[in-house]
Amino acid sequence: MFSRILVANRGEIALRIIRACRELGVEVVAVYSEADRDAAYLKLADQAICIGPAAAAESYLNIPRIISAAEVADVQAIHPGFGFLSENAHFADVCRSCKIEFIGPSVESMKMLGSKLASKDLAKQCKVPLTPGSDGPVQSEKEAVEVAKKIGYPVIIKASAGGGGRGMRVAHNEITLKSSLNAARAEAEAAFKDATVFIEKYHEEPRHVEVQILGDKHGNVVHLFERDCSIQRRHQKLVEESPCPVIDEETRQELCESAVRLAKAAGYYSAATVEFVMDKQKKFYFLEVNTRIQVEHPVTESVTGQDLIQWQLRIAAGEKLDMAQKDIRLTGAAIECRINAEDPDRNFTPSPGLLEEFAPPGGPGVRLDTHAYQGYRIGPNYDSMIGKLIVHRPTRDQAIATMRRALDEFRAGPVKTTIPLHRFIMNSQDFRQSRVDTGWIERTRRVK
Amino acid sequence: MATKETFTDNKRVKDLIKLMSDHGLTEIELVEDKAKIRLKRDFAPVGMPMTAAPMMPMAHQVPIMAPTANPGTSAPAEDEGVIPIKSPMVGTFYTAANPDSDPFVKIGTTVGKDTVVCIIEAMKVFNEIRAEVSGVVTKMLVQNGQPVEYNQPLFMVKAQ
Repeated sequence: MFSRILVANRGEIALRIIRACRELGVEVVAVYSEADRDAAYLKLADQAICIGPAAAAESYLNIPRIISAAEVADVQAIHPGFGFLSENAHFADVCRSCKIEFIGPSVESMKMLGSKLASKDLAKQCKVPLTPGSDGPVQSEKEAVEVAKKIGYPVIIKASAGGGGRGMRVAHNEITLKSSLNAARAEAEAAFKDATVFIEKYHEEPRHVEVQILGDKHGNVVHLFERDCSIQRRHQKLVEESPCPVIDEETRQELCESAVRLAKAAGYYSAATVEFVMDKQKKFYFLEVNTRIQVEHPVTESVTGQDLIQWQLRIAAGEKLDMAQKDIRLTGAAIECRINAEDPDRNFTPSPGLLEEFAPPGGPGVRLDTHAYQGYRIGPNYDSMIGKLIVHRPTRDQAIATMRRALDEFRAGPVKTTIPLHRFIMNSQDFRQSRVDTGWIERTRRVK
Repeated sequence: MATKETFTDNKRVKDLIKLMSDHGLTEIELVEDKAKIRLKRDFAPVGMPMTAAPMMPMAHQVPIMAPTANPGTSAPAEDEGVIPIKSPMVGTFYTAANPDSDPFVKIGTTVGKDTVVCIIEAMKVFNEIRAEVSGVVTKMLVQNGQPVEYNQPLFMVKAQ
């Protein structure tokens, strides 16, 4: 095990990593920007080094400053957390060439799985289901019609050069396909100066389901089951839970095993999350891989009893996974609500300021991962997440009841938070019966 | 190693001086939590005596400008300010270019803005650090070979 590591991150995840290090007897060095100088969690580290001004580019994203701090503090490894440099292959490379272990995957597997294109190729090779499509641009209307017939309606026409929802059209039948094709082409030409389009199956009311993976440096890879993260707003997750409440055991096995196949094929070690889209027929399709620890990892920690951050440290230090797949059990149900300092009634505008009141919930089944406290000043410089409220109970219904209780107890203000929004979600029949999809929250609250 | 002491933000002080000069003000006061700075000047042609109370680095400042009622009168001379030279990076501090050379500066050395005062080594690169202020070195706050962090005060300089 390492004797000293550096945490190249801030806030809640930095605190999480500090905690894991303390339990493993590893000395931990925190870095901070001027904006985080007064953060209380820094005092829990063995050492704290100021690396720059508030701007992320000059602090948490600044590779030379972070490496300097690592060298000055004489650490053996760096944990990048999530966000910032956690999926930056160049950073991982620099660490290793400076003889500092990067607590994450190898540079090669990060590059392979981190690329949408490369990971999709690998998924195909591993027989992991992919969203069917034209596999390249459609050159003619005739070709479009053939592809659509083969994959089945509805289909979505997308601009090859594009993004941001432009040059995208959904067609439910052959007639609308032809007009949509022309419209999509025209939009693509106007927006990106490139009329090339391709076609994919359109997933109606999709659910977002992801699989947690752990691999060691000895070639062992296991899954720690799935999480359902369908409650989202603008592709930002709000609520995550495990297990996925709407799939049967057979689907669960197929889903999780396909994720393991993919990770193994990439020679992956450390923690990763393999993300899928699930359609109304409970068919899943590979989306992408996140080659890092995720925000919602506590959900999986709750239902499996495994400490994922400690595993990352142990794996990086060369330890073997001490459990086989059959030893990993999913027990009960866990739900996480992301508590953000945002105003849900004003389009989720960030709501920085002083946390004059902060009375966290507690009691059985409740876990709160937060760096915030009464008197903490939420700055405007970084993301607005102030904490994660996780509950774990023997059944999903009980977990929902506990989450409702915990949200009712939770006092945080006067800044605006997403606590009232989470109360609304936990009280809704749709959520309780899990009749949700990734567009649900926006439709239900008529917010965008 | 992280020093949580307060110190005067040199650049902010310079910005405030410029602000006063640009707008013909004779007094500015800044308050942030427990820290306060007040700058006052007279209209005599010689220099700008000022008081700089130690202040916390601030993310948001709210200047409270107080234009003086008698622009013609000269304010009494105040104590000259002592400004820190702070590290612009994380690394290891060295007082000289190499172990055999003399240190760049000592207590009592007069420095100009471009005077090299020390080396900070970061990732095997030796960076020359310049004073950025003119004055006389009154204190050395770190030792040769000591690790330093961003914004850590290295020297105190009596500004001229």
